[in-house]
Amino acid sequence: MNPSHQSPWHRPAPPSTSSFLSFAAVPQSRRDFLWRSGGGLGGIALASLLGGEKLLAADPAPHSAFRVPHFPPRAKRVIQLFMGGAASHLDLFDYKPELLKRDGQKSDFGEHVEAFQDGLGPWMKPVWPFQPHGQSGKMLGETVAELGKVVDELAFVHNLVGKTGVHSQATYLQATGFQLPGFPGMGSWVSYGLGSVNENLPAFVVLPDHRGFASNGPKNWDSAFLPGQHAGTIIYPGQENPITDLFPGPAGGFVSPASEAAAHDVLARLNREHAATREGDARLDARIRSYELAARMQLAAPEAMDLSKEPDHLLNLYGIKKNPPAWPKEINAEEEMDYFGRKCLVARRLVERGVRFVQVWSGNDNGFPRRNWDSHEDIRRDHGPLSMGFARGAAALIQDLKQRGLLDDTIILWTTEFGRMPSSQGGKGRDHNPYCFTNWLCGGGIKGGVTCGESDQWGYKPQDRNHPTTVYDIHATILHQLGIDHTRLTFRSNGIDRRLTDVHGEVIPGLLG
Amino acid sequence: MKRISRALIGTSAGEKRARAGVVFPALTGLAVLLMSSNVGAAAAVDPARLPAAATAPVDFARDIRPLFESACVKCHGPEKAKNGFRLDTRAHALTGGDNGVDILPGASAKSPLVHYVARLVPDLEMPPKGKGEALTARQVGMLRAWIDQGAKWDREETSQPMKKSDWWSLLPLQRPAVPTPVNRKSQIANPIDSFIVARLDGKNLRPSPAADRRTLIRRVSFDLIGLPPKPDEIEAFVADQDAKAYEKLVDRLLASPRYGERWARHWLDVVHFGETHGYDKDQPRPNAWPYRDYVIRSFNEDKPYARFVQEQLAGDELFPGTRDGFEALGFIAAGPWDLIGHSEVPESKMDGKVARHLDRDDMVATTMQTFNSLTVQCAQCHNHKFDPITQEDYYSLQAVFAAVDRADQKYDADPKAGPKRKELTDRQTALTKRKKELDETILVRAGQTLVDLDKKITALSKAGKKGEAFGYHSSIEKLQNTAKWLQVDLGRSVSLGLIVLHPCSDDFNGIGEGFGFPVRFKVEVSDDAAFKNNVALAGDYTKEDFASPKLKALAVEAKGRAARYIRVTATKLAPRQNDYIFALAELNALATDGNNAALGAAVTALDSIEAPPRWRKLNLTDGWQPGASAADSGELAALRQERDQLVAKAVSAEDQKERAGIERDLAVVKTELEKLPLPSTAYVAAVHNGGGNFAGTGSKGGKPRPIYVLNRGSIQKPGKEVGPGTLGCLPGLPSRFELPPNHAEGERRAALAQWLTRNDNPLTWRSVVNRVWQYHFGRGLVETPNDFGRMGALPTHPELLDWLAVEFRDGGQSMKKLHRLIVTSATYRQSSASVAAFEKVDSENRHLWRANRRKLEAEAVRDAVLLVSGKLDPKMGGPGFRDFVIEKPEHSPHYEYHLHNPEDPRSHRRSIYRFIVRSQQQPFMTTLDCADPSMQVGRRNESQSPLQALAMLNNSLMLTMSKHFAAKLDKQDGDLPAKVRGAYYEAIGRALSPDEVSVLTRHAQQFGLTNVCRVLFNLNEFSFVD
Repeated sequence: MNPSHQSPWHRPAPPSTSSFLSFAAVPQSRRDFLWRSGGGLGGIALASLLGGEKLLAADPAPHSAFRVPHFPPRAKRVIQLFMGGAASHLDLFDYKPELLKRDGQKSDFGEHVEAFQDGLGPWMKPVWPFQPHGQSGKMLGETVAELGKVVDELAFVHNLVGKTGVHSQATYLQATGFQLPGFPGMGSWVSYGLGSVNENLPAFVVLPDHRGFASNGPKNWDSAFLPGQHAGTIIYPGQENPITDLFPGPAGGFVSPASEAAAHDVLARLNREHAATREGDARLDARIRSYELAARMQLAAPEAMDLSKEPDHLLNLYGIKKNPPAWPKEINAEEEMDYFGRKCLVARRLVERGVRFVQVWSGNDNGFPRRNWDSHEDIRRDHGPLSMGFARGAAALIQDLKQRGLLDDTIILWTTEFGRMPSSQGGKGRDHNPYCFTNWLCGGGIKGGVTCGESDQWGYKPQDRNHPTTVYDIHATILHQLGIDHTRLTFRSNGIDRRLTDVHGEVIPGLLG
Repeated sequence: MKRISRALIGTSAGEKRARAGVVFPALTGLAVLLMSSNVGAAAAVDPARLPAAATAPVDFARDIRPLFESACVKCHGPEKAKNGFRLDTRAHALTGGDNGVDILPGASAKSPLVHYVARLVPDLEMPPKGKGEALTARQVGMLRAWIDQGAKWDREETSQPMKKSDWWSLLPLQRPAVPTPVNRKSQIANPIDSFIVARLDGKNLRPSPAADRRTLIRRVSFDLIGLPPKPDEIEAFVADQDAKAYEKLVDRLLASPRYGERWARHWLDVVHFGETHGYDKDQPRPNAWPYRDYVIRSFNEDKPYARFVQEQLAGDELFPGTRDGFEALGFIAAGPWDLIGHSEVPESKMDGKVARHLDRDDMVATTMQTFNSLTVQCAQCHNHKFDPITQEDYYSLQAVFAAVDRADQKYDADPKAGPKRKELTDRQTALTKRKKELDETILVRAGQTLVDLDKKITALSKAGKKGEAFGYHSSIEKLQNTAKWLQVDLGRSVSLGLIVLHPCSDDFNGIGEGFGFPVRFKVEVSDDAAFKNNVALAGDYTKEDFASPKLKALAVEAKGRAARYIRVTATKLAPRQNDYIFALAELNALATDGNNAALGAAVTALDSIEAPPRWRKLNLTDGWQPGASAADSGELAALRQERDQLVAKAVSAEDQKERAGIERDLAVVKTELEKLPLPSTAYVAAVHNGGGNFAGTGSKGGKPRPIYVLNRGSIQKPGKEVGPGTLGCLPGLPSRFELPPNHAEGERRAALAQWLTRNDNPLTWRSVVNRVWQYHFGRGLVETPNDFGRMGALPTHPELLDWLAVEFRDGGQSMKKLHRLIVTSATYRQSSASVAAFEKVDSENRHLWRANRRKLEAEAVRDAVLLVSGKLDPKMGGPGFRDFVIEKPEHSPHYEYHLHNPEDPRSHRRSIYRFIVRSQQQPFMTTLDCADPSMQVGRRNESQSPLQALAMLNNSLMLTMSKHFAAKLDKQDGDLPAKVRGAYYEAIGRALSPDEVSVLTRHAQQFGLTNVCRVLFNLNEFSFVD
C-alpha cells in the first residue's frame, strides 16, 4: 500500500513517540469536507428520519421478553476502568497493619493455600505508606493519593472473590460474567438493554491500553450471541482512523469529498428504487438508514475525540501534557498519566455525548517487560507508574464529571482480574490471589465514603468467608442503578435464557445511596 | 401463592380444599359448580380489566407449559409448592392450593389464577415482585384461551409429573404419509411441496409463482456454491430450451468443488472451528487446517452422513489408517483451549482441573449440539431444567472424552504409508529389544572396561552434535524471484571432486526438512572472488523447479576443476508461509583427494540473518548438518575399534554374528523408514504425549481420567464416579456404554459415534436435515437448529421434517441428494415478492408462501467482490491465508489486520481459507456478522448497522477490489455506458434500466469507474438475493 495518492482524510499519523492523541487541529480540508458533505447529503434529514434508537433496537430477539427500565433508574451510563493483569489491593486500597507488623516473617495462612506460582514467601508489607484521606479517613496507598481528593465519593468493596487464578478466565469473568469465551461484555448487555442515546456514536465504546490488548483481547467486549451492534467499538483517539474503517484508508485515494457525497446520493436513490419494488422487507430500509447513520458517525466520532478545545487547566488536572516529550523506554509515571488521562478525558467527552458504556483499560498482555499489573517480580516497578497513572486520570474524571453535574447519573467502576497475595514470591513481587480483591465504585447513586465488605487481617480472604462479594453482585448492582433487574435482562441462546449474572447475583444494598 | 384473606374469598381455605378434592375426578363437568364457589374472588376483580383471551387454538405443550415452567413452577412445583399450589401436573393444577381452586376450565375470566397473573389482586400479583417478570397481556390472553378451551394438558398425562421424554424431538422417527392436496398438481414438483401446499391450503394461503430464471440462477448459485453466476452462465441458463435446464444447472453446481467450500463453511460455524486457541496467549494453530480440508472434501465427495459423524468422533478407532479418519478428529479439537490453564498449571492443581473440565465441557457441548441439537451442557451443575437430561448423563458424556487432549499429532496422510510405517517400527522395536538383550550379555562378560569405553564414546559423540546450529539463512523476501547468493572461500585453489549441498531442517510452520532449499539455483566455481572472470558452472538448476530434497544432500560434480571460491546463487527462493528465503545447512567441497576443503572455510553472502547459534554464515562450513549424528573424528573411530576388539574377545562368535545381523537389519529398516513420505501434522483431539504440565494421558497409556459427577458443577465437590455413556431420554436406546474393563479409550468415542448414528436415534436425522433446510431457506423447519429441547422452537412443519429425516437416513444419507430434492422443489423456486394479503396472515412467511430474500453472509460478500473484480484465486486446500501481520508473537500475539496488504494475491482466495483468529477476529468479516469461533453458531445473527456500512464503504479490501474491478472494465470494449451496464451485470446479474444507466454513467464521468464499482458493492441489491 502506497499512500502516495492521499485523500483529504490522510494526514500523517502522529509520531508514536510523542502522543497517541494529536492536538493538531484537524486539517481544514477534512473538516470542510465533513461538514460540507454532512450538510449536503441530499435527502438525509438528519434530525428526524433516522430514529437511530429504533434501528439499533430492531433486534431479532424473539425470546427476550424484557422491558426496561424495570424501575426508575438512578444512573444512565457507566465508565469501567479495568486494570489488566490483576492489581494488588494490598498496596493501593486495602490497608493491612498486620502486614506492616509481620513484614518479612514466614507466612502462615493457617490452612493449605494453592498458589498459582510460588507465592507463599514471607509476609510482605505494602510497598508504599498509607495515609488517611477525606472525611471518611479512608486509608490510601501513596501512589493513589490523588484519589484522596474524591475519596468521599467512592465506595470500596474489599471482599471480592474470583473463581480462578488464570488471567484469561479471570478477565472473562470480570468482563462478561463467565469464565470462558462466548459471552457478551457488560457494556454489550447495557447497550442491548438500554439502547443508544446518540445514534451517531456507538453505545458501547472501548479504549484499550495504547500498548495492546489485555488477556483475551476484543473477546472481553464482544457481543457474542447478542446482535452485532452491541459489541464494544474500539476507539483509538488520535489515529488516522479512530474507528476501524471510519474513513477510507490509503487504498481509497480515489475517493474525494465530492465523490463521497455523490456516492451517498446514488446509493440512496438506487437503494430506494430497489426497496420500492420489494415492499415489506424492513431490512432494506434499515440498511439504507445505516448508510445515513454512517455518514453522521464520520462527523460525530472525530469531534468527540478532539481534545484541542479543552482548556489547559483541565488538561493539567488529567495529567495530560500538551506537548508530550519523547518518553523514555522504561515505564514511568508521567507517561502513564498522560496516556491514561487522555483516555479518561475522551471517556468524559463520550459519555457527555450520550455513549452508554465506556471501558478504559490499563495494562496490556502479560509479556516482558511488564506493561501491566501482573507484578510477580516487582510491585514497585510496575504498580508504581501504573497506579500513579490511573489515579490521576480517574480522580480528574470524577472531579470533572461532578463539576458538570454528570457524576449523579454516571457510574464509575474500578476493577481488575483478581488480587495479589499478602506474602511475597520470595522477592519483591506478589503472586495471584483469586480469593480476595478490591473493587470501587462511585457516582450514579452509589453511596460515597463507605466500605461494603472487608477482607481478613491479611487481605488473603474475605473477613466473612460465608458472605463474600462476587462479580455477579457488582454487575447486579450496576444494572440495578441503571433501572434494570439483572434477572430479567435475558437473551435466549442455544436453549438458555442467558443473562449477565448467570444464575447468581444480589444487589448490594450498602452501595446504594 | 400468597395467602388470600378470608374476607376476599368468603369461605375458609380448608373448606375450599375439601370441596376441590371431591369435584376433581369429573372436573370439567363441574366447572359451573366451582365457579359459584369462587364468587368471592371473582367479584373482587373487574373482568373488563383482564386482557382479552387469545382467539387462536392453544397448544398446551407449545404455549402454556413453557410459561408455567418459566414463571410459576419454581415456587409452585414439586420442590416448593408454595401455599400448597402446584402447576406441574394437571391434577395438582386443577385441585388448587390452600386457598382453593385457581383454575376453572371453561371460565377464564373467573379463574383466580388469571386474576393473579393479570396483577389485579393486590398483594397477590403473580409472580410476586422480585420473583419473576409479570406476564405480558399476550401471555395472559393465551392462558385465558387455554382455560376457556378446557385447560387440556398433554395427551396421556394424568397425575404423573411431566413425563419429560414426551417431547416431539425425542419421539421415534416414522415416515409420515405424503399429503395430497386437491387441485394443486401444478404447484407440486416433489413431496416437499405436498407438505408445504397442504399447510398453505389450511391457512388460505397460496404458493407464489416461480421466480424468473435470472433470479433463480443467482439464488441457487449463492446457495450451493456461495458465488454469483457469471454473465455467460446467466445467459446460457436463460436461453436453455431444455425442460431439464434447471436440473442440469443444479447438478453442475453440486458437482463443482466450490460446493464443498460453501457448505463446509456452514459446518465450521456449527463446530466453532478456529485456528488460534482463544483465551490469553492466543497462539496460532498452524496445523488446524487439515480438518477444514477434510470437511470440504467430505462434502464434495458426498460422504454418507453416518460415516461423516463417526469419523469426526472416532475416525482413528473406527477407520484406522485412513487419512479422513485422522483429520476428522479436528472436530473434537475445533473449539477454544486455555493454554495457560493447561501448560502453566498441572492437572493436580485446582486451576488445572478447572481448565480441563472446561475443555471436556466444550467437547461434550459441541458434540451433542452439533449432532443431536440438544443443550446437554445445561446439566453441568444440576439436572437439565427443561429437558430430560440428568447431571449423570452429562458427566458420562465427559467420560467419553476423558483421555483426549487437543494438540498437534503426526499421522500418515498417505494410506499406504501408515501400515508400512507400523510394520517397520514394530520390527525396529523387536530388533532393538533383541539387540539390547545381547548387549546386556556382552556387558556382563566384558566388564568395567567396556563401561568406561562406552562412556568415552558417548561423550565424544555428544561433543560432535550441534543440533542447534541449523545453518545459513538469508533475509526474508516478499518476492520469490529475488536472486541471492552465498560464497565459500576455500583459502586456496583446490581441485574439486564433488560439491555437496546439505538442506536444513527447521520446524517453522511445518516446513520441516528441506527448509529454505532454493527452488531454482546454480553452483559456480571460480578463482575470482567477484565471480566476474573465469567462472565455471558446476551445476545449473535454474531451468526448472527443484523439488524439496527434504534431508537428502545434493552432490554436484565439479569434475576436478580447480577453484578457490564456490558460489551458490538462488534464482527462485524457497517459500515459507507468507514469504521467501534461501537457507542451507552445510556446504562440503570434497576435493579430489576426498577431504572436505570447505570445513571451517570463510563464508560470505549477499545477506544473512545472523541469529546464533541457530542461524549464521559460519554454520555453513562447521561440519554439521541435520542427520549427522556424531563427529566422524579419528579419535572416535579408534575408540570404536578398541571396543569391537574387546567385544570380540568377550563373546561367542555366534552372538557376535547375530548382533551384526541385527545391526544390518536395523540399518535396512531405517532406510526403509526414510523412504516413506514424511508424516503430516494435524491439530486434533487424541491421546497426548506431552511433557511438563501439559502431559496428557499418553504416559499412562491413554488411560482415561476418572470423571465424577460434580456437585453444583464444582471441581472441589466431586461426587460419584461415572463411566462413559450418553443421554437416557431416547426410548429404546442405551444410555451407558457397557465396555470391558480394559477397553481402549477410543472405544468410548466409537461407542458414542455409533449411538449417535443409530437409525433409531431420531435427533441425529432430524437435526441434520433441519440444518440443511435452514441454509436453503434462511430459517429451519425448527428455528433453533442447536436446540430441539423445550427451550427451543417447535417445528413449523413436523411431518415434513420427519419425512425428510427418514428420506435422508434411508436414501443413502447423501447431502447432495437432499440439496437436489430441496432446490428442485417448487417451494424453493418461488418468487420472493410479497403479497399484501398473505403478509397479514403470515408476515414472517413461516408457511413458505414465498421465497425468503436472503442477505449474503460475510464470506459470500467477500468472495463475490473478489470474483467480480477478477481476482479470486480458486486454489483449494492447504494452510490458510493470513490477512494480518503478527506482532509480538512470543507472548500474546498481536494480530494486526491493518498491516496486511490487500493487494497480496495470497489473500485473494475464498474466505473459507482465511486463517481464523479467535481473540482478535477479523474486523471486516466480524462487522458483517460472520460466525464467532468461540461460540457454536447454528444460525448467524443478521444486522444492519452503521459500522457495517462503514466497513463496506471503506475497508481496504473493498477499496482495492473496486480498483481492480474498474481496471478490468477499462480493458473491455465499449463506451462508458456500456461499461457501466457490464459492471452491473457482473456484480448483480441483471440489466440496468436506462434511468439507472444514466445515473451511474454520470457518476463515472464525474469520478471515474472505480467510484462506480465502489457504489455497486454497496448497493442493497449486491448484498441481498431475491
